[in-house]
Amino acid sequence: MAQTHMAPSQSAAETVSHRWSRMVAETLLNHRVRVIGSVPDEVTGHLLDRLQAEPECAVVCCTREEEAVAMVAGAHLGGKRGAVVLQTSGVGNAMNALGSFAVPYQIPMLLIVSERGGLGEFNPVQVPLGHALPRVLDALGIQTYALTTESEIVPVLSGAADLAFSTMAPVAVVLSTLLTGGKTLK
Amino acid sequence: MNRLEAIRRIVPLLDNAAVISNLGRNTYDLYEAKDRPENFYMWGAMGSTSSVGFGLALAQPARPVMVLDGDGSVLMNLGCLTTVAAYRPPNLVLVVFDNGTYETTGGQPTHTARGADLEAIARGAGMSHTATVSDLDGFARAVEHALREPGPWFILAKVEEATRFARVPRRPIYIKDRFMQAIGTVGV
Repeated sequence: MAQTHMAPSQSAAETVSHRWSRMVAETLLNHRVRVIGSVPDEVTGHLLDRLQAEPECAVVCCTREEEAVAMVAGAHLGGKRGAVVLQTSGVGNAMNALGSFAVPYQIPMLLIVSERGGLGEFNPVQVPLGHALPRVLDALGIQTYALTTESEIVPVLSGAADLAFSTMAPVAVVLSTLLTGGKTLK
Repeated sequence: MNRLEAIRRIVPLLDNAAVISNLGRNTYDLYEAKDRPENFYMWGAMGSTSSVGFGLALAQPARPVMVLDGDGSVLMNLGCLTTVAAYRPPNLVLVVFDNGTYETTGGQPTHTARGADLEAIARGAGMSHTATVSDLDGFARAVEHALREPGPWFILAKVEEATRFARVPRRPIYIKDRFMQAIGTVGV
């Protein structure tokens, strides 16, 4: 939804993006998340750069979100906490790995979902899955929380990490376009 | 080559290796050949098995990790071969049993029966340590070598369709907990 923001300077916009990205990365690292599976996304670029810069953290660029869920699940079997960074449409690609593997095998992970299809969306094809996302995840028994402001990042993401890794469940945290500004129409 | 006999041949080579088996017949045959706590049996998520082994290999770099995958399943997740090739976990051995059929769903032909060559695909994906084997001695030699030398390895094992049934525990949490106890990753 960046096109609805009337011209904050480019550097100011980058500062905001760097700030929430740093806060999310630090919170993940504080909760001992050490393996990240991701599929490239403009909105989460700084977040992934930040995680990549941490020597203890492995960031794996996957070809598909289902692969990322399975890889992070394998890391859990190996004793490492993991998160998948993906777009809402990528949750659609990951559905069988979640429903037929992570949920029934009680494999914890955080799904850090970059929101599409909601406030500020410009692409009609992003809307159906973006709109359905919380209900789709809920139907699988996966709890979903949203980050809409910077002040929510630490309490909500920390709580989601505790929930996931203590109760052995995948938990989704949506990066709202209110927090990130969303994808820029180019 | 018969898949159950092939797995029986490599059981003595496994030592402390973690083995992830693909849903259906690979899981049945691994269980039948040797049920061991370091075996992790998949019951679903077709196509995900090699990616699970990849994540485990990253998290446990000191332990050999072997995946027993199938042709139909690998065809569903060919992208994972490019990911494994890009990150090159040296302790990962991908074994793909290729019988040219979707055996678990009733024996419909896969595209490997129509000419697709999974070893060539793995090489094209960037994996440099690959082999195709079609007899028991060749398979045992390839696995012994792969467990000893840094990989990642891709071993395409040509097998016959040979459906059998085994009473593998169908309790995901039991399978997971037993596995993680065995490799020492519970509560890490």
